[in-house]
Amino acid sequence: MLSIRDLRVEFAMRRGVLTAIDGVSFDIGRGEVLGVVGESGAGKSVTGAAIIGLVDPPGRVADGEIRLGGERIDGLSEDEMRAVRGRRIGMIFQDPLTSLNPLFSVGDQLVETMRSHLDLTAGEARRRALALLVEVGIPAAEERIGAYPHEFSGGMRQRVVIALALCAEPELVIADEPTTALDVSVQAQILALIKRLCRDRGTAVMLVTHDMGVVANTADRVAVMYAGRLAEIGPVSDLIDQPLHPYAVGLMGAIPSLDQDARRLVQIPGTMPRLSAIPGGCAFHPRCPQAFERCAARRPPLVAKDGRTVACHLYDGSAEAAR
Amino acid sequence: MNGSPAVELSGVSREFDVSRPWLARVVAGEPRRYLTAVKDVTFAIERAETFGLVGESGSGKTTVARMVVGLLPPSEGRVRIDGVSLTDPGSAAARQRFRRRIHMVFQDPYASLNPRWRIERIIAEPIRAFGLARSNEEVADRVDELLSLVGLHSGDRFRFPHEFSGGQRQRVAIARALASSAELIVCDEPTSALDVSVQAQILNLMRDLQDRFELTYLLISHDLAVVRHMADRIAVMYLGRVVEIGDGRTLFQSPRHPYTRLLLNAVPDVSTRGRPDAEIAGEIPSPIDPPPGCAFHPRCPLAFDRCRREVPALLDGVACHAVHEETVAA
Repeated sequence: MLSIRDLRVEFAMRRGVLTAIDGVSFDIGRGEVLGVVGESGAGKSVTGAAIIGLVDPPGRVADGEIRLGGERIDGLSEDEMRAVRGRRIGMIFQDPLTSLNPLFSVGDQLVETMRSHLDLTAGEARRRALALLVEVGIPAAEERIGAYPHEFSGGMRQRVVIALALCAEPELVIADEPTTALDVSVQAQILALIKRLCRDRGTAVMLVTHDMGVVANTADRVAVMYAGRLAEIGPVSDLIDQPLHPYAVGLMGAIPSLDQDARRLVQIPGTMPRLSAIPGGCAFHPRCPQAFERCAARRPPLVAKDGRTVACHLYDGSAEAAR
Repeated sequence: MNGSPAVELSGVSREFDVSRPWLARVVAGEPRRYLTAVKDVTFAIERAETFGLVGESGSGKTTVARMVVGLLPPSEGRVRIDGVSLTDPGSAAARQRFRRRIHMVFQDPYASLNPRWRIERIIAEPIRAFGLARSNEEVADRVDELLSLVGLHSGDRFRFPHEFSGGQRQRVAIARALASSAELIVCDEPTSALDVSVQAQILNLMRDLQDRFELTYLLISHDLAVVRHMADRIAVMYLGRVVEIGDGRTLFQSPRHPYTRLLLNAVPDVSTRGRPDAEIAGEIPSPIDPPPGCAFHPRCPLAFDRCRREVPALLDGVACHAVHEETVAA
């Protein structure tokens, strides 16, 4: 459904060009949920913005290709892109209040979005809007359809945003931290809703989050990003039980879990590098407990290993060669 | 030092006046309106223990923290620190002594440090305010010692907060808490603004410092895994009341209150992969107009008549009619 190859996003700054995304490739199939995880500055959100063509200047997609349903969508004009956004790609952002227009009722916003993308009469659009609100679980939808965003609670607002993202029946939904602003009990409801609706419609989902727990319970596959690059990508259960990349190993160990009695958490020394100072070779090597000479010298390619793809010299045969 | 617990809350409540302005109220003929943020909370924290307080937004966790450090007086009930009440008029001198021994670490390390002060001045402030050092050299030595304790460099003292990352700022906040030799540190969501790998560093640091100085922590968080990892005992709050309290491991392994069960079912955790999606209905009601009886009854699967009329008391660590009656029957 979505296919990204060697994506590269650059920001031309006064002091030089910063590379925010460097050689990222992945695919998402129909009805599949891909979780994209990483810490702040890993490039998760920029990847999402690049797909929908919303990287703000001075940033630009410098290289690579993005295909949706086999068709290239990078390099489209602003007008062509606008027809893709909302119609073929739906978006759910962290803060539901900023993604809804406070001056229009939720019904009007749904109707307007549907009519601008689909060939519907006002009456048909209204009926579909109502059906959608019922489907996303707004109680008494018939009365609430005329209500304004501020009259809804945070969880209900996020449901409206989901309805808005799905109203034109997109092929792909990009959900950027959709539940970070919500309480846990509401978060569980929203995640279940996204999962169910997308599975029923065969919509592909790119779920961007910093919360491994959310990914573990929602995604089919996970991509771990570090300093704008892919570290590892694979099925969720493999990656969580037995991560290969040392960064993924550290990340899993750092998360406190509900059913363990660890006295100390695994600590990854140091912090994520700044974009202006990404180390040469493997970006993770200064913090990596298993780094060897080659890691500082050469950037590891993405190689297949145990059903996953991982970018680490430990798995591309060079570790044995060095010994 | 005596045998009393480090912190003791007995029947503490706190109300906030949320009425509209006087004129608007008089014109519309409305009465004053109050929001009960915390209602009848009783618990004690032992020395050198980590006490965790969990709950969703609006459950009153932060209000409890603010009352413990004395930033807010309780409307009813008493907060005692080392057996001395913070609100007794007669104990001003004692209060001054205790003031030094309680410190707070806030959620947002970007907002809780003065951006115009150098790190040295930020950390030295409690030392100077409580007169804990005799000379400037002594203050400087102490700042050095504190910086190395929290894993920062001596040279960092001349820098400003904006030059640090979120995790480093939280380290500065912890150093400041230790500067007055505080024994009780109230941490309100100390790692919520941090990335997981940085969170692990800060939680490990808090553990190490506790072992070293026998610190008592009151840890407040909405992240159940963090609280589970850190706390010896845990209290779960819902709409201003404690609904369950107990030893951390027991509470997580066999939760008794339906709300605790719901909360544990809802948390996405790496260890709960593949679990069927929990069916949870509803959201937290408004604290201005809470439901009568047990505040949780509209969302509770076990609710019966009595829950709608009577507020359940906290007996044997749990406040739930259904659990109580089951225990009596058994």
